[in-house]
Amino acid sequence: MVNHQVDLPEVTATSRRRLLTSLLAGGAAVVAAPLLAGRASAEEIVNAPRDPQDFPALNEALKRERQMAATYKVAMKSATGDDKFALTLLSDHHDAYVDAIKAYLGTSAVSGTEAPLATPTGSFVSMAPQMSALENDTLVAHTTRLGTLVGLDAAKLIASIITVEARHAAALSLLGGASPLAAAGA
Amino acid sequence: MTTENTSKISRRSMLRTSGALVAGGAVLAACGSDHHTVARIGQTDEIEKLKDAKVTDVALLQTAMSVEKMVADMLSDKRMTSLADNKAQPIITAFAAAHLADLADLSPLVTARQGRPVNEANQKLMNSYGENALKLVDEGKNPTDVLALTHALESLVAATYQYFVSLTTEPALRGEMMQLGAKSARRAAVAAQLFNSGIKALGDQLNEDGTVVAGTIATFPSAFGPLNAVQVSLGPEIPEAPRANVLMDTPSLNSIIY
Repeated sequence: MVNHQVDLPEVTATSRRRLLTSLLAGGAAVVAAPLLAGRASAEEIVNAPRDPQDFPALNEALKRERQMAATYKVAMKSATGDDKFALTLLSDHHDAYVDAIKAYLGTSAVSGTEAPLATPTGSFVSMAPQMSALENDTLVAHTTRLGTLVGLDAAKLIASIITVEARHAAALSLLGGASPLAAAGA
Repeated sequence: MTTENTSKISRRSMLRTSGALVAGGAVLAACGSDHHTVARIGQTDEIEKLKDAKVTDVALLQTAMSVEKMVADMLSDKRMTSLADNKAQPIITAFAAAHLADLADLSPLVTARQGRPVNEANQKLMNSYGENALKLVDEGKNPTDVLALTHALESLVAATYQYFVSLTTEPALRGEMMQLGAKSARRAAVAAQLFNSGIKALGDQLNEDGTVVAGTIATFPSAFGPLNAVQVSLGPEIPEAPRANVLMDTPSLNSIIY
């Protein structure tokens, strides 16, 4: 009996080895990808363009927002029902601005509390004109600051606050009894 | 028995013929000129590259002008003015005039930077959603659509300036743009309050299941100025079906006036 030994081509063994190696490498890459991605995102946040030149102006903006939030807190004390709902909504917005600016500034944020800018009392409608004027002053000051900011992220943050504070000012003016065109500033 | 052996000869003659053909083809190809009238695979004319269009501060200002003009035109459009009720009529007239005033304010900013003032509506945006929005207002014949579209347009302008802040290189110009953005945001709030008035309309009005009540507009839709597409429901009321939604995006690379 003649035994024919069939030699399998070497390439097959190599391919299998390659395949296994590739699978192992691929698996490792899949496992490592989320970790690497997470690290990349963190690096992006750390490397976000924050310019220390902007910190004094942003701290002024932070101070103003704390004052606005404190003023709404005073107004909320005597309010009830729908009035309280509306004042809470506005107060929450200013709290959000405080948090956002503080988050941007990080350890460079000035700490402390600010006194309210006024002591509004009475119904929402009676308080609205005064609060509208304060909102208006705030957005004007922010717009002036925006023109001085170097960091793009800081500029984007302040711009997004200005957009909504302009809405606050107009709506409060209208609800406080101004004509629609006067409230719109048209 | 006679056996014909034609196949052997045929194979040889076939090979000879094929060889002659290949050789002849090679000679003919060598004799041909470089200019090929018939396209060959792998050979194309040199493709002229598109010019690099840069989003400069001037391009942004020019685009802002085109958006202001578009909104002024839309608010003055007969399909809007003919449908507006007594409450909306003076508002859209004044708002259209305000946009033309903003257009005039933008003009020196453009010329100071060697740009070309734009006095035409942004055609890309008109084609994309402006014309469709006006068509739906016309078909719906619903007077409330006038204020709904006014609110959407003012929100769009405010969002445009806010978005442009992220593209503008000159810090002082960012402030000037947001002065105009704030004006539109104020007008948006007034339009929202005229659409559905009162304290309850300041935030989202919610159903018991937490969904937003259909046909309402929040005066303060969010704490921060949004940059997503402005959405507005317009057009005819169709039983058992939602109204048409128009999505209005801020200018993008294809609608910027370079």
